[in-house]
Amino acid sequence: MGPVELLHMSVFSQSFSPCGRFLAAGNNYGEIALFSLAAALSPDATAANQKPVLTFTAHEGPVFSLLSTDSVLLSAGNGEVSAWNWTELIKKNVKPLWTKRPNYKSSLEIPEINSMAINPRDDSLAIGAGDNNVHILDLEHGAFKATLQGHTDYVHCVCIREREAELLSGSEDGAVRMWDCRTGQSVHCIEVHKYESCARPQHGKWISCLTTDSDWMLCGGGPSLSLWHLRSLSPTSVFPLSGCQRRAAFHQDMILAVGDGAFVSHCLLGGEVKGQIPCTPPSLNTLKLNTKSSEHRVLTVGGGSSKIDVFTNLSYRAFSLSF
Amino acid sequence: MGAVTDDEVIRKRLLIDGDGAGDDRRINLLLKSFTKWCHSPGSPEEGFTQYQRMLGTLAQCEFSMGKTLMVYDMNLREMENYEKIYSNIEQNITSAHDKIAECKKEIQRAKRIRKNRQEYDALAKIIQQHPDRHETLKQLEALDKELQHLSHIKENVDAKLELRKKQFHVLLTTIQELQQTLENDEKSDNDDQSQESPAQNGE
Repeated sequence: MGPVELLHMSVFSQSFSPCGRFLAAGNNYGEIALFSLAAALSPDATAANQKPVLTFTAHEGPVFSLLSTDSVLLSAGNGEVSAWNWTELIKKNVKPLWTKRPNYKSSLEIPEINSMAINPRDDSLAIGAGDNNVHILDLEHGAFKATLQGHTDYVHCVCIREREAELLSGSEDGAVRMWDCRTGQSVHCIEVHKYESCARPQHGKWISCLTTDSDWMLCGGGPSLSLWHLRSLSPTSVFPLSGCQRRAAFHQDMILAVGDGAFVSHCLLGGEVKGQIPCTPPSLNTLKLNTKSSEHRVLTVGGGSSKIDVFTNLSYRAFSLSF
Repeated sequence: MGAVTDDEVIRKRLLIDGDGAGDDRRINLLLKSFTKWCHSPGSPEEGFTQYQRMLGTLAQCEFSMGKTLMVYDMNLREMENYEKIYSNIEQNITSAHDKIAECKKEIQRAKRIRKNRQEYDALAKIIQQHPDRHETLKQLEALDKELQHLSHIKENVDAKLELRKKQFHVLLTTIQELQQTLENDEKSDNDDQSQESPAQNGE
């Protein structure tokens, strides 16, 4: 990996291992790197511990989405989904378990897979793809169960609303659609850019960031990042962040958001921005909290640089892992 | 006695030599002077002074021994004291750990409460924007009444319209029948007339 390539590298996705000791990160060259968190966080860590323990090429296109189940790492790139066994990866064995491609209608170009989410109730994987549809893959049987059609432009992000068994998808056409997981029908459709308080016409109407905790939903992108109450489908707070947000997460009583700008924004549910913590990449694409492990409970962010910032205490950057 | 080697004895004697240089020498001197005094042929006053001197030296030896014993006691008691302080500090450490864990739980609870409060505030803001329920109910009632009134009027008008229609219908049918009768009469008149005239012409 020459210095010029490192300069042009962007990290698009991250995922923690089920044991919480490893971090997998995907970049725009189609590579996935495995970092050992246990080694990097130990008191006698050296600079070598901040380099990956394993780097391999997973796809021919950028790896836009990574997801971990109890034993498997799912990666999406170049229009296909591959599964890798975590224990095999830790042993540096890079053979995928399977690779599947959703049934795209057009064969002219390969739509990218922008986002994946797992529905734990029926063990299915929702894939938000560039062909404007959300494909549902049954992980047990390995077959594609359903295709949710309704968006008129590519789907940027999907997430699962666990309590009501609904799937939310945000797309380039500015709509957030809620689908019933069992019937596959679109239950609601919210056009965020039509609400005056959220809309930012200068940025566009696309929705790139979507997350929910069953009662509330955060969505942002072209329109400002806003907090929505799902039962009444009304926006309750709008966050005054200047750039376009690409990822957001609920954490205890705060909201963490990343996007344009070299910082992680901490916001309160009421709509105020509590603080912005600076980090190394000039803009951030991905934010992940390691909730599975109790001793390596860190926040990691990655973006337009080959470095991934690690926060042990949310208030400041501890160190950076680099590809 | 045979188990204690010469080395041990020499080491011990070298160790206590620091302070014991004076004491050891004093005891040796005392012994030597005692044997000399026992074997001395000198005068009784000399013997008495020597005897006093020996008593003095003995007292000095006893005094230094007493001092060492006291120091030993003191050291033992200091050790006890330190042990007590040590265990006290250990206890404090564990209780501080417990308190920290408690406080961490408290903080989690407080964060949850704060999150709930903020969610409540956000919802309350939205709800405030909507109009009051009583107002809306009153408006609904007023609208209902108006609706009823208007439908009442409509019914009346409809009934009147029906009545008028029927009346006109009666009128028109009567007129038509009259017209029909008149036409029939006219026709029968004409017939009668034409029947009469050919009869007249025929004659």
